[in-house]
Amino acid sequence: MSNFTDRAHEDVQPFQLSRRGFIIGAAGAGFTLAFLRPDEVFADPAAAVAARGFEPTIWYHIDNDGIVTVNVIRAEMGQHVGTALARIVADELEAKWESVRINAVDTDPKWGTMVTGGSWSVWQSFAPLSQAGAAGRITLIEEGAKLLHAPKEACVARDSMVSAGGKSISYADIVRKGNLARTYSADQLKALPIKEPSERRLVGQPSHALDIPSKTNGSARYGLDAEVEGMLYARPKLPPTRTDSKVVSIDDSAAKDVKGYLQTIALDDPSGTVPGWVVVVADSFVAANHAADKVKVNWSSGAAAKVSEKDLLDHGSKLIDNPKIGSLVVADDGVEEAFASAKSKIEQTYTTSTVLHFQLEPVNALALQKDGVWEIHTGNQWQSLILPTLAKALGVGEDKVVMRTYLIGGGFGRRLNGDYAVPAALAAKALGKPVKLVFTRADDARFDSPRSASVQRVSMAFGEGGKVVGMQHHATAGWPTQVMVPSFMPKGKNGEPYDPFSISGADHWYSVGAHRVRAISNDLANATFRPGWLRSVGPGWTNWALESFMDEAAHHAGIDPVQFRLGLLDAKGGNAGDGKSAVGGAKRQYNVVKRVAEMAGWGAALPKDTGLGIATSFGQERDMPTWSACVARVKVDRATGAVKLEKLTLVVDAGTIVHPDGALAQVEGASLWGASMALHEGTEFENGQVKDTNLDTYTPLRMRDVPELDIEFIASTEAPVGLGEPATTVVGPAIANAIFAAVGARLRHLPMRTAAVLKALAEVRTV
Amino acid sequence: MTTFSINGQPISVDVAEDTPLLWVIRDVIGFKGTKFGCGIGMCGACTVHVDGRAVRSCITRVGAIADASVTTIEGLDPAGQHPLQKAWIETQTPQCGYCQSGQIMQAASMLKDYPNPTDVEIDAVMSGNLCRCMAYVRIRKAIKLAAVELASATHTGATSHE
Amino acid sequence: MVKRILVGLIIVLLVGTLGLFAIAWRPAIEPVAMPAPSSFAADLVGKGEVLAAAGNCASCHTVNGGAPYAGGRGLESAFGTIYSPNISPDPETGIGRWSEAAFARALHQGVARDGSHLFPAFPYDHFTKVRDDDVHALYAFLMTRPAVNAEARANTLPFPLNIRALQAGWKFLFFKRGAFVADSGKSEEWNRGAYLAEGLGHCAACHTPRNRMGAEKSSEAYAGAIIGGWFAPALNSTPTAPVPWTQDELFGYLRSGATALHGSATGAMSEVVHDSLAKLPDADIHAIAAYFADISGAASTQALVEPAVVKAMAFEHRATDASDDAGANLYAAACASCHYNLGAPPLAERPELALNSALSAPGPSNLIHVILDGVGRRDGMPILLMPGFASAMSDADIARLAAYLRRTRTEQPAWSDLEATVSKIRGQGGA
Repeated sequence: MSNFTDRAHEDVQPFQLSRRGFIIGAAGAGFTLAFLRPDEVFADPAAAVAARGFEPTIWYHIDNDGIVTVNVIRAEMGQHVGTALARIVADELEAKWESVRINAVDTDPKWGTMVTGGSWSVWQSFAPLSQAGAAGRITLIEEGAKLLHAPKEACVARDSMVSAGGKSISYADIVRKGNLARTYSADQLKALPIKEPSERRLVGQPSHALDIPSKTNGSARYGLDAEVEGMLYARPKLPPTRTDSKVVSIDDSAAKDVKGYLQTIALDDPSGTVPGWVVVVADSFVAANHAADKVKVNWSSGAAAKVSEKDLLDHGSKLIDNPKIGSLVVADDGVEEAFASAKSKIEQTYTTSTVLHFQLEPVNALALQKDGVWEIHTGNQWQSLILPTLAKALGVGEDKVVMRTYLIGGGFGRRLNGDYAVPAALAAKALGKPVKLVFTRADDARFDSPRSASVQRVSMAFGEGGKVVGMQHHATAGWPTQVMVPSFMPKGKNGEPYDPFSISGADHWYSVGAHRVRAISNDLANATFRPGWLRSVGPGWTNWALESFMDEAAHHAGIDPVQFRLGLLDAKGGNAGDGKSAVGGAKRQYNVVKRVAEMAGWGAALPKDTGLGIATSFGQERDMPTWSACVARVKVDRATGAVKLEKLTLVVDAGTIVHPDGALAQVEGASLWGASMALHEGTEFENGQVKDTNLDTYTPLRMRDVPELDIEFIASTEAPVGLGEPATTVVGPAIANAIFAAVGARLRHLPMRTAAVLKALAEVRTV
Repeated sequence: MTTFSINGQPISVDVAEDTPLLWVIRDVIGFKGTKFGCGIGMCGACTVHVDGRAVRSCITRVGAIADASVTTIEGLDPAGQHPLQKAWIETQTPQCGYCQSGQIMQAASMLKDYPNPTDVEIDAVMSGNLCRCMAYVRIRKAIKLAAVELASATHTGATSHE
Repeated sequence: MVKRILVGLIIVLLVGTLGLFAIAWRPAIEPVAMPAPSSFAADLVGKGEVLAAAGNCASCHTVNGGAPYAGGRGLESAFGTIYSPNISPDPETGIGRWSEAAFARALHQGVARDGSHLFPAFPYDHFTKVRDDDVHALYAFLMTRPAVNAEARANTLPFPLNIRALQAGWKFLFFKRGAFVADSGKSEEWNRGAYLAEGLGHCAACHTPRNRMGAEKSSEAYAGAIIGGWFAPALNSTPTAPVPWTQDELFGYLRSGATALHGSATGAMSEVVHDSLAKLPDADIHAIAAYFADISGAASTQALVEPAVVKAMAFEHRATDASDDAGANLYAAACASCHYNLGAPPLAERPELALNSALSAPGPSNLIHVILDGVGRRDGMPILLMPGFASAMSDADIARLAAYLRRTRTEQPAWSDLEATVSKIRGQGGA
């Protein structure tokens, strides 16, 4: 795992802090504060700013009125990331929170890699933003001291003021009257005092998110709201398959009756993103939508047009049966021996169905060319990934494409893959006019990069005295990273590349003796659709298998499931943690398991057919663990198979919490996502397409389904880690384990449908 | 030509009668706060008021609202200070925010029917509004908070909204 | 259908040959110079206006959005489409040159001015009961309407049903001519109601089932009938509504178009309430309500109302906890926001489905119509708008939803062939 994370993080992380200096240079009205290029020396900070000597990420600006504008390169999609990042800067800067603004920037090489995903934002940014804030504070104090005629040692910065001996001066006045121009070398920067956690005034304190008011009065602007004078509207017609369809003929004669209909064009896509696509163009979306229904397109397609969900799962099972394939992600010595000499063994297979992102704002994009530059107006989570594709599709250099930033009406990973911007750009190029491409909900569902169906086989070997001596976890699914960014794939212990996002979670912190984790790409899935990263990605299925299996293993061993887990979370050897984000290692997972069991009343008597189930997770990556544990309480109706989720209790240790209320909101949402994917939503492939394309049959959790939630964060001053995803992955297995506790029925497929509950109940009776 | 009022202003639009009200509001009139989510009346993001009651504008033909009074999120309160809007901020309810115009409009309509709603009532009425970020716990909390303010405003005879 | 037509044909031919010449012939009544509108007293015209509303004349004699009384609206029957004639006072194409006697003969006997027989799509079997003084007022009203030049559209009845003379045979078998006779044993209000309902109001034309020949079955008066793809519910003592009708409920429904305990008037009944009855004074509506309350035996069922409401309202919570009940999910997503109620009585603005006669009707057609096409602001309860789901739900969706509502909110047997029925009604086009 570490192999991958080094590579991936190097690519997406802005920089290695230790190698960079910092500049403060006059720019416009005020000063810009930015990191220098590695080892670069500028005599004059203003020249450095003018020459864009900073790199890659410019952090913030203070103007003559003392307004601090923090540039945010992360996409705002409900996690209030701008608020969290701005508070890190403002805390060290000792800026008055009311004077802080967020600037959601458009794409520009100066920002470095732009990606929002993996719950990485705060974790990656905390240290550099703190340093940047501290450098600003020190400089303001130095200049303020001069203006106050006081020694700088006597000066204190607080609430955008520098004070000494009863006199004070505002940051605005210091910016206007002082000369903040500075250059800090890397060493100097490192020596700047960062506040002790106890000194923090914004980080960890309650606050209101800056993006929220506009979301209550209709003024928030999302990609769908983008418009320019003279733009045309278009709706796509999607071919039968994702990867290999060709247009044979187009008949738009019936569409010509639609008022406002203009034309239908087949897209020629040099980037290969949307093969066989046709877009229907009109002077309004309503007309484009009606016309698209009437345009008849004849396609030729390959074998993917026949693939079903069962085909995908059957293929997965076959792949797992073949021991010679796949990538060994964990490959301890002695696995064969442990299993061969085991006193007892247990093996189970777990599967999951296809899941849609179903972010509420259907994907859309507005594309136009202005002054020789292509502007793509759309909400996106990974601009740096799609920009080269857009440039290729348009046949221009990357410097000729800019993405304008909008709020995102739901990301959940869908907008990491910016493929939806490509057909808009191609249509605008073909027509020579601005084109706004809007997907209907059904178009969006069919074009989704869904969470792949998965098949996993997990086994455990027990030795003398019931001691766990070996474990194997084989997992196969469609691999988004293989399809979209193969360069991100590290090599396993056997030299085979693997998609880290599709197997993370299996490399757990339990001490299980000889451990083997094998990841296998489901090539049929990859050929049928474009697998996507969906909120937590791999752990969405790996933790389903792992934590369901841990429960089965505990029962096999005759040990209480909480005690069984605690026994394996001994924080020994490789599970002892590191000195960075994983301080404490499995000990911290032990703590959240123990705490959640206490909170949920583990072991107490419950009403008939009611049960508690536990599951835990370390999040996605071992070097950024978010220690999470969940207890679900369910009541099962034996007659109908209905599962009523009554309560979820969650305990999370995410280190330092920057924006507590935002963190709580993330865990609330993530845990309900978990419940939704466990009991409510899921689809199937049928003839190469997802079967459920709208809310009449795709049924995410709604208000009436919300269980009681009891969520606790472990107070911590350790490094802050990600929060957007981990809670998603503990809920499903906790529910399955609770169903088992309630009525003895073991479910091994997600989502858990009533028919499966009834079937499992029948099996209990016949045993 | 269909004539109606929107946020208190009379308007005539020259579109086919079967044009969904949602797109008239968004693309003809230009109020962008009303959102497109599912297009089949099942997510609630497009909820507006027609004569004071919540209606899914994505499946409502504009011809059906001739002479009616339509209110969108922009017109719920002139200053954006409807008790529900204040409660939404107080409880920090929105995440991505895309569904929230519809949630607030649906809740405003509900509070006329159920000024002091129980969880059961909120769950039943608000389940037609999907929140994909699943901020449901806060939506429920915010509605109750607003109900308290509305009740005290009514009690003291303060301004009524809409 | 073919068989039905053949049987009808044989009967018509038999009867026709026996008595055709004896009974079919009617003389033409000479045309008259079109009377000047000013020759009619204003109060007489005003009275006629109310009566024309009570008879809902405009509904059949006006096309959607067309000139009033200019005719042309197609009435579909089992035998073909009959287009209503122009009854505006146009001398060439309307009734401008009809004398009052010719007009009265048409109403009372179903014979046009030129002596030809009218089809019973024109409910002269009810209008025969209209008193002469009311005919007088109706004539005054119609002759003072703007004249519209509009030729009648040709009917699509097949031969030989298109031979008007054969209608004499139908009349011989099914038509009973005669003025309304008051029942001295009933109150004046009851008799007023009966006169309006049985005469001009021609309520039975929709609410009484018809025989193969298209005549009302007198033995099944007000037993409920399918008409125009809708179910006109029973108004006799065997209603299917979950809560018995009371006189107050009947009045509220006929006056406003909806009540909390019975739902909304939609389809043709919405026209009756909002275009026709709306012009009648409260006293007439009370009278009609009194009449139907009596024939449905409301007095004896009054005590059942409250328990019936409580029972029906309890159905709301019969909904299952199963997260994959497709019908329940559709209801939660698309219906509950507006229709959910807690406790009895429900709010009128939140039409309660467990109380809705569309759900308890023998067939699903009314429910399907409403789901597909919605309820306009001018239909049902004024202002209340339900958008149609025709473009939003598939046939399978509507079938699942209807089955779920029927199962959870009534104690009636399940509907069969739902998906095919939805498809059929959808194919007939919107209202």
